[in-house]
Parts: sequence; C-alpha cells; structure tokens
Amino acid sequence: MSSYEKVTDEIRSIAEKLLKEEEVEKIIGFGKGLFSDEVTPIFVSRLKDVDRLIFSPQASMSLAKYLLNYKEQKVAIVAKPCDSRAIASYLSEDMIKRENVKIIGINGCPGIEDNSACQECDIRNPVIADYTVGEEMSEEEIQAEIEDFEDEIEKMSPAERMEYFRKEFERCTRCYACREACYVCYCEQCFTESNQPDWVGESVKLNDNFTYHLMRSMHMAGRCVNCGACEMACPEGIDVRALAAKMVRAADEIFDYKAGLDPEQKTLLSEYDVNDREKGFMDE
Amino acid sequence: MSKTAEFEPKIATFLCTWCSYAAADLAGSSRIQYPPNIRVMRVPCTGRMDPFLIIKAFNEGADGILVSGCHPGDCHYLDGNLYARRRFVMLNELMQYAGVEEERLNFTWCSASEGKRFAQVVEKAVNRVKKVGPWQGFDGQGFAREEGELVSEQL
Repeated sequence: MSSYEKVTDEIRSIAEKLLKEEEVEKIIGFGKGLFSDEVTPIFVSRLKDVDRLIFSPQASMSLAKYLLNYKEQKVAIVAKPCDSRAIASYLSEDMIKRENVKIIGINGCPGIEDNSACQECDIRNPVIADYTVGEEMSEEEIQAEIEDFEDEIEKMSPAERMEYFRKEFERCTRCYACREACYVCYCEQCFTESNQPDWVGESVKLNDNFTYHLMRSMHMAGRCVNCGACEMACPEGIDVRALAAKMVRAADEIFDYKAGLDPEQKTLLSEYDVNDREKGFMDE
Repeated sequence: MSKTAEFEPKIATFLCTWCSYAAADLAGSSRIQYPPNIRVMRVPCTGRMDPFLIIKAFNEGADGILVSGCHPGDCHYLDGNLYARRRFVMLNELMQYAGVEEERLNFTWCSASEGKRFAQVVEKAVNRVKKVGPWQGFDGQGFAREEGELVSEQL
C-alpha cells in the first residue's frame, strides 16, 4: 500500500471519529474531481460522505484559505505540512481562532506531482496539528531527499533576468488564479482593485503585468511558505513562484527568518532588530 | 559647436520630513551645489513608505530612486525607519532579482545637519544611475522623454 493510500485511510478514520463525536461540523479535505486524476476540495459534513476524502499526488491546492470562510464554525482541515504553516501564520495574524479548528496534519508529506516547490521543501512534518496521519520523517531523512537546489536565475546578469521575467509575464492574462490560490492573499480589497491610489493598471500590458507580480511578491515577503500553489494554479504555466521563492530565500539568508513555523511568531516585516543588516544600502 | 546629448536621469526621491528633507533644505541654504536630477517627494517618515511607491515609480518611468530617512535610532517616531529598513532590504533583493540594476536603487540615511552629506549622496546616486543609462521600463519599450528636461545638451 502506497503512503498516499495509507494516509487516505487514516484521514477517513479520524474524520469519521470527529463527525461521530460531533467535535466538528465540517471537514475540509481533498476529494476526487470530475476527471480521472483530478483532485478538488470537498467539504464533508455527513458521516456517509467520509469515504469521499482522499489524499493523492494531485492534491496540490492549499486548503488553509477555506478556513477564512468558516471562522465561526468548528471545522477540521486536512493539512499538508505547507498548509499547516499557512494555518500557523493565520493564527499568528489573528485571522482564525485556534479552538474552532482541528488540524489533521500529514506527517512525512510524500510531495505533490509536478510541484517544483516540493523538491526544495525542508519542512515535511506539520508544524501544528491536533491529529497526525502518516509517519513522521526525521531530519536526516528530510535532508537526504532535498535535491540540491541551484538557482539558475540568480546566475544570470540583470539584463538576462529581466528578459527571462519579461518572457514569463508576457503570457500573464491577469486571471489572478495565483492570487486566489495563495493563502497569503486574503485582503478584502486587493491592491489590483484599488483605484485610490491606483497602484497598477488592470490591462494586460507587460509593464503592468510585471508591476503586478512585483507588488504581489512584495506582499509575500516574509509570509510566503513556498507551497507552490500559485505555480500549480497558473493556467499559462508562468514561473510565478520564482519571485516569491526569492523572498523566502532572502528572508532566510539575511534575517534568518522562516514564515509560519510558530503561531506566536510575528511576520518578518512587522518587527525589527536594531542590528538588522543593511544589505544593498548605499554605504554598506 | 558640437552637440552631444548627455543622459540626465530622473530620480524619484523620497525624503523623510524630519531629517533628510531638512538636510536638503540645509544644503540649499548653505548654497551647496548638487545635481538637479532628483524629484523630491516629502514623506512623514520612511516608515510610511509603502514599497509599492517605489515599484510604481519604476512603472511610471523613473530612472532610479533615492530614499533617505533619519539615521537608525534617530527616528522622529522612534522606530519608523527600523521597520522601513527591513522592507527596503527585501524590496532591494526582489527588484535586483527581477533584473533591475542595483545602481537604480539607492537607500541611505541623512540627518538634518548633514547638508553636505546630502549633496554628496545625491551626486553619488546620480552618477550610479548615469552609469546604467536610461530606464527602459519593465516592458523594455522605454519612456517618452520631454525635450530639454531629461536630456541636457552640452554645447
């Protein structure tokens, strides 16, 4: 039995228990979609539907964002390690109440198919969970599986990098699928829809597309957990994650900061250290 | 009479009202000369600076940006510039990664008494931006430049 099937069975038995004991009203999890391998988010509130819960290599979406729709209800959620970090961030940002959510964390996450973020992932066990399924991975096992990540974009000259991103963002149709998939993007009014100030034009001009992605990545700084949901959601196959992933690496290198490890943690840009490095300043 | 048009960059400059704006003022009243390429926008504090303002400046055709506030520890609002500092470091990383030359991004501190230093900072920033040439925009199409305003003619 593959680890995905084992996880599926364990999720079902926990879900059944939670619904039977009426601990939660709803379980947010992955279910089978309309087409062969497709996976879709499902919301289970009846015992007979528990068997529709699955976990598979296609379970790419971050379910954490659905918690914001059920702030006042008691719900359980199936969380991959990256989703658990998203939930920890929500808790640290006071977006959800801890007592209202039961987290079914997936230990030793086997990864998602075609998600390039999974190859860089170094947090394979949930950071916060009430119930866990699967087998916990040790630090050595995790380190052994990380592929040596070499950033090809970093090696290019500024002009080549600009050219690379131009080619990518040229294809952007501004459908905002990346925004909808991202757990960070929960603002009630997004800067793209703001007209006072009018931050960025709504049309698909390259100049505005580029600006939109830069601005969104700036909002990611110190909050992105590098889950890759944006990239998986993009219908044009744009390397959406590149800029946000750079922010993740920069936060780690410069400020030794990783987002969403602890519900008590503040976000990178909402605190400071008097001795912060001034990397890139004129005098440094 | 040979006409060589030299590139005169336009630098969007954000100065905090308590230190760097006063420094610019002091430079002026002390009659210290500095290049006229900066377009000053006065902000209450560098902590008020949304990084979007800087991205938008590039979107709209600024050749470079210069941000200056109070020295860390001297902020009029105690810690506004310390929050700003982290933001600028992250923004700098992002913009450089996206392919904006580091010479276009100038961050520094200037206190109200540093009129001379302010003039030096502006000079340095202008030289840095001149080195990398006109900003072509994120789309590489360039921006329409008004005659005489941006390109000075050296006779």
